[in-house]
Amino acid sequence: MRKPAGAWSKPFHLRTHLYLLAIIFGFSLTGIFLYYLMDSINQNSVYYDPQRDVSVSGATQSVTNSESHVVQSANSYVPYPTSVQQDYNAVQHPNHYYNYPQAANDSSVQRGVDQGPGAAYQPHTSFPNSGSYVGPTSNTYYTAGAHQTVPGYATSNYYYHQNNTWGNGSCVNNHAQSYQSCIPDSNVAQSSSSLPTSSVHYQQQYSQWAYYYDQSAQTSGGLAVTGSGSTAPDTKTVTIDSNYAHTSNQPPPPGTTSWKNDAGNTTTPPSQEQGIQGYQNQYASQVPVAPMFHTHYVNNAAGIPTFQNQCVSLAYQHSSANHNQLPLSNQVDQQKVLPLHGSSSNVSSVNHVSENPETPWQDSLSSNVHMLNKIQISTNPRIAQDFPIGTPQVDKSKLEADSSLKPAYVCVSMPKNDVTVSQNGSEAVMQVTGSFPVSLRTYVERNLARCKDDAQRTASRSILKEIITKATADGTLHTKNWDIEPLFTLPEKATSMNMTSNGKDSSPFSSSRSPSRRTKSRWEPVAKSRWEPVAEENVANNVELPNELAKINICSSLEPTKRMSNSWDLRKHVQSRQSPLSQYSHRPTKMQRTGGDASLTENGNASSDSDKEQGLMKYYTSSIAQANSPEEKKRREHRSKRFEQSQGTPSKSRSSVPDKDATDNIYTSRATSLLLNRSNGDGAGLAVEDYDWDALTIKGTCQQIEKPYLRLTSAPDPATVRPEDVLEKALCMVETSEKNYLYKCDQLKSIRQDLTVQRIQSELTVKVYETHARLAIQSGDLAEYNQCQSQLRRCYGEGVKGCNLEFSAYNLLYLVHSNNKRDLLSSMASLPKEAKKDTAVKHALEVRYAFSSGNYVLFFKLYKMAPNLNSCLMDLYVERMRFVAMKCMSKSYRPTVPVRYAARVLGFVGIDEVCEANGADGLEECEEWLKAHGAILSVDNNGELQIDTKVSSTSLYLPETENAVSHGDASLAVDDFLTRASS
Amino acid sequence: MAAYLSMGEAHRRIGDYLSRVTNAISYSDGAALASLLSVSSAPASTPLSDALAAFPDFPRLAGDRFPHLADFLVPLLRAIHSHSIQRFADAYSSFEKASNAFLQEFRNWETPWAMDAMHTVALEIRLIAEKADRELATNGKNPDKLQAAGSFLMKVFGTLAVKGPKRIGALYVTCQLFKIYFRLGTVNLCRSVIRSIETARNFDFEDFPVKDKVTYMYYTGRLEVFNENFLVADQKLTYALMRCNPQSESNLRRVLKFLIPVKLSMGVLPKRTLLERYNLLEYADVVTALKRGDLRLLRQALDRHEDQFLKSGVYLVLEKLELQVYQRLVKKIHIIQRQKEPAKAHQIKLDVVVKALKWLEIDMDVDEVECIMACLIYKNLIKGYFAHKSKVLVLSKQDPFPKLNGKPV
Repeated sequence: MRKPAGAWSKPFHLRTHLYLLAIIFGFSLTGIFLYYLMDSINQNSVYYDPQRDVSVSGATQSVTNSESHVVQSANSYVPYPTSVQQDYNAVQHPNHYYNYPQAANDSSVQRGVDQGPGAAYQPHTSFPNSGSYVGPTSNTYYTAGAHQTVPGYATSNYYYHQNNTWGNGSCVNNHAQSYQSCIPDSNVAQSSSSLPTSSVHYQQQYSQWAYYYDQSAQTSGGLAVTGSGSTAPDTKTVTIDSNYAHTSNQPPPPGTTSWKNDAGNTTTPPSQEQGIQGYQNQYASQVPVAPMFHTHYVNNAAGIPTFQNQCVSLAYQHSSANHNQLPLSNQVDQQKVLPLHGSSSNVSSVNHVSENPETPWQDSLSSNVHMLNKIQISTNPRIAQDFPIGTPQVDKSKLEADSSLKPAYVCVSMPKNDVTVSQNGSEAVMQVTGSFPVSLRTYVERNLARCKDDAQRTASRSILKEIITKATADGTLHTKNWDIEPLFTLPEKATSMNMTSNGKDSSPFSSSRSPSRRTKSRWEPVAKSRWEPVAEENVANNVELPNELAKINICSSLEPTKRMSNSWDLRKHVQSRQSPLSQYSHRPTKMQRTGGDASLTENGNASSDSDKEQGLMKYYTSSIAQANSPEEKKRREHRSKRFEQSQGTPSKSRSSVPDKDATDNIYTSRATSLLLNRSNGDGAGLAVEDYDWDALTIKGTCQQIEKPYLRLTSAPDPATVRPEDVLEKALCMVETSEKNYLYKCDQLKSIRQDLTVQRIQSELTVKVYETHARLAIQSGDLAEYNQCQSQLRRCYGEGVKGCNLEFSAYNLLYLVHSNNKRDLLSSMASLPKEAKKDTAVKHALEVRYAFSSGNYVLFFKLYKMAPNLNSCLMDLYVERMRFVAMKCMSKSYRPTVPVRYAARVLGFVGIDEVCEANGADGLEECEEWLKAHGAILSVDNNGELQIDTKVSSTSLYLPETENAVSHGDASLAVDDFLTRASS
Repeated sequence: MAAYLSMGEAHRRIGDYLSRVTNAISYSDGAALASLLSVSSAPASTPLSDALAAFPDFPRLAGDRFPHLADFLVPLLRAIHSHSIQRFADAYSSFEKASNAFLQEFRNWETPWAMDAMHTVALEIRLIAEKADRELATNGKNPDKLQAAGSFLMKVFGTLAVKGPKRIGALYVTCQLFKIYFRLGTVNLCRSVIRSIETARNFDFEDFPVKDKVTYMYYTGRLEVFNENFLVADQKLTYALMRCNPQSESNLRRVLKFLIPVKLSMGVLPKRTLLERYNLLEYADVVTALKRGDLRLLRQALDRHEDQFLKSGVYLVLEKLELQVYQRLVKKIHIIQRQKEPAKAHQIKLDVVVKALKWLEIDMDVDEVECIMACLIYKNLIKGYFAHKSKVLVLSKQDPFPKLNGKPV
């Protein structure tokens, strides 16, 4: 059952991804968001129907099973009673479609599925799917779920639906209005004028909503106890709707100026922040929704194809989240440990229990769940109490999260929140809001989910316990950003398992949030600082998820198809996905631009000129706004400061940091985590040097001698890394290989990579770099040569033996080429006396002298007697030298210079072989060269070819080299390089 | 000696120091503040550092007394303490924290009253970083403090190099940055700072304080020497030399150390007395070689002082003087020949030059000497032409050996 057959395996892949995402995000978000999610999904679907149809139809072609479903769902939104579920279907299919190419290409991913060791939730997916999930389309699955839901729940759904429709109407209107206005005005007009008014408007709404919110919160609390779910949902939905409608208005203000860009979004939160406190609270909860809507709207306006995807993915996540969560809720119910859990959760759990086949791994999951639940519960009561009161602390954290939300991504994240909410049931969701580090929970889950068998599970559990205790001791529980957790190496193997544990123990971040600490915190007064981490985590989630989603949708093609690692680790996904996204995050406008363009091409009729203009307009305005916005400035300041923050920044210090910092830190930490494939860090931008590399060093097990080079996009997998003895053989193989340079370069790079990831610094390392450097010199591959040379310099500097004199000669010769006087001086100054006696170094020094003094005779003499590969490097400036020499000769000689002499002193023929046979070739070559450079030749009385220097002195020119390239280094020209490499 | 200092006395001294700092801030007394901040110039056993040693709880004291300045005063006291007990790496870390806090405050002060203090901070952070790096290097650790000081000073520069009254202090920080970059060998980082100083339209360079201008010109002149822009280098170094305080011989020497090679490359030779006065005798042989056309002497001089010249970066400049020495040699041959047989004075046989070089114990074959002659003509050091067939250098009748007259080769 682990390998779903045929076409379905890929969708499941996706599902796993989504599962993971959903889990991460779901936990972090509050119940309120859940409602929003539902609303937003519905509305979105309605609003965006046309677009969706287009894309769906496209999807149908690729998706085998689900065509009918897709189409139906997309079109028949109204007929279906439960709009939410409808959305899922629609969403899911597009998702499949989009992900398809990726999955197909991604062999490693495929492998990951099959082997399935690393994925936290993979077992989950595969197992449940094997039963009812797998066989039928996702559609069936969902409908089944709907049917199974308890009546009470169903009613609530129904209410939702109604509310939604109402909300939808208003929402749509708002959107339409804003959108319309936006287009004609080309953004600018609206921006300033509309903003103030709208904000006021919102405030009112917020306060209203606050009232609602309080009510609902209280009711939810009561409900939780009583278990009557129907009424509570109603009120909530209503409130949500009202809010929602207003929220939809919100996007325009920021959006008008910078509709699509981050700056715009970021700006909004701060302004609200400054508002009244009480009102702030409400706002905080609301904010998330706004961004989400915002995004959608933006997308629509821009006509970005991704919009659909987002929607889809969200919905999909939603569904997946449900799947995941069910086990959790089940656990809760069965154990009855947590009486406070909402009734809705009960319902859902029941349903799922019946559905889910009992699987061995569920055991572990349940244990995980158990832990998680416990945590949740502990927090829940408090939160519920806090909420009505409107504790400033809670507000603050929320605010922070809100403000830190970035525009485009944020919106994506919102859906996730919703997902979570939906999972837990409405009341439960409310309570979850304040729960501690959600990400920690997911972290624990991830760890456990990786386990393949009971032994592993128990082992990992004990490890986790250790970590937790440690974290409690450290107090780093809340300061870590578990979502970007690095996740250690692959959990698939027993060895890796050990590795992981080691890594955790020894690594500075190993401290995870301990459950014990959490439980404890429940009884303690909530410290301000304690809340902050939660907020941060939320932020992190928000930021990250969007990335993921966007990645799935937008960047699926970008995803490196040849990923080496099999593991389905959450982090890996997140990170690998993040990479493209992070790019976007830095240049959000750009992304949107491209997105807009793509949409133009895709939605034929939708693409009008005005759209295009608008896109452009937005592009510029947004970029300007971004550059000038105080947020951006602040962010920059922060960026410069982030390295000052030490690794274990206590939450206290963070509390003083404004909200934007949190976001910023997250961004930075994302970058680093991307690099490191570690999903840790509290978001406080851990510097690379802070990581404990020793703990991360792996030991390879691969026995293959040949291995193509692939730039790592994730943590190295020991199974694909060769140990030192194999690498030695590989080097031998390359050295004796008959193949061309391209092949050798590839092989050597992979050897270098394996050495690097294992941090091997031995004579073998030096040998590999030397071999590669020599080959690169011979093939004129200066880029590789420079890489090798800098590595070699480091190795030699650290005392590893090698041919350092030979390479310092190369270095000198290269510096002559680069004409860097200062480096040349320092290189010469650093040469020890005895080194200057070495033939190669001496030669290089003489070449330098000859070149700088313009002594071409000496230069070409040296060229002819160059040791090692010195002549190859001299080739870099032989042409230059010849030309200068020719100019010099044509100016100083009168009336003529014999070509024979020129050929001799310019190195076309050997110095001592003028009369020999190959002298003639050199002579001809010289003649051609002279002609090519504009020299005027004549034949004198004796029939000997002469250069007419007087005429030539004005006619000489340096012809444009045929292989000249834009970046000025001819040796990098591909064609030239290829021809030389293959010869 | 700190042992017999009573706690009360220590407390009093620290309190006194703290109140003097805060008073200086509240009265906007930049000079007083500057003197209070000079951590490294204070002798190791000042009353204050003794007091800090005797009263280890000083951070709390500072924090309690002046909570609004705690993030500045506490690390400052720590830095003074660590510095006095010769723990420079720690001192640096603390001082950097204090400096950051100070910079934060400084940004908020609208008038540049604290410019002196800011400059003291800039100077101190560099000095402490240098000490810290020395300490780290001897302990086998990575000496990265000076680099960190460089990035801090870049921040300071960013704060100062804006429109307004604070800009006048920017050049001082620039010079501190130059010192760091030259020491670290990362002079390419100077470029951005220079650009910001030289392209500013709203602030005349001449409005900067003289001492900063001199330092600035000295360093930028050195950069131009690296780039072999001898004309510009001459300009800048001459500027520095002319405005340098005539009392400060060591500074004059420093400028001359680079100005002399630049002038040599333009054909301007220094008097021996100048070299003696500023102890620049490493150039004496070079000058003599130029006067005599003694190639061997030049090469010997370069060889003898190779390390020194390579380090200061004038080696390549001096090496280029060879052509001038050749020119002098040919000129001498020409003079002798003119005396011997005036009719053929303008035709110098290549063999003669080769023979002359042989006497100088320089072994060069005919081709190479021919190439040198071609180069001399090519570079306008000799007017005339070379006849390849007959291997004769034919000199122009008029001014066959043009003087450089301030134009570099």
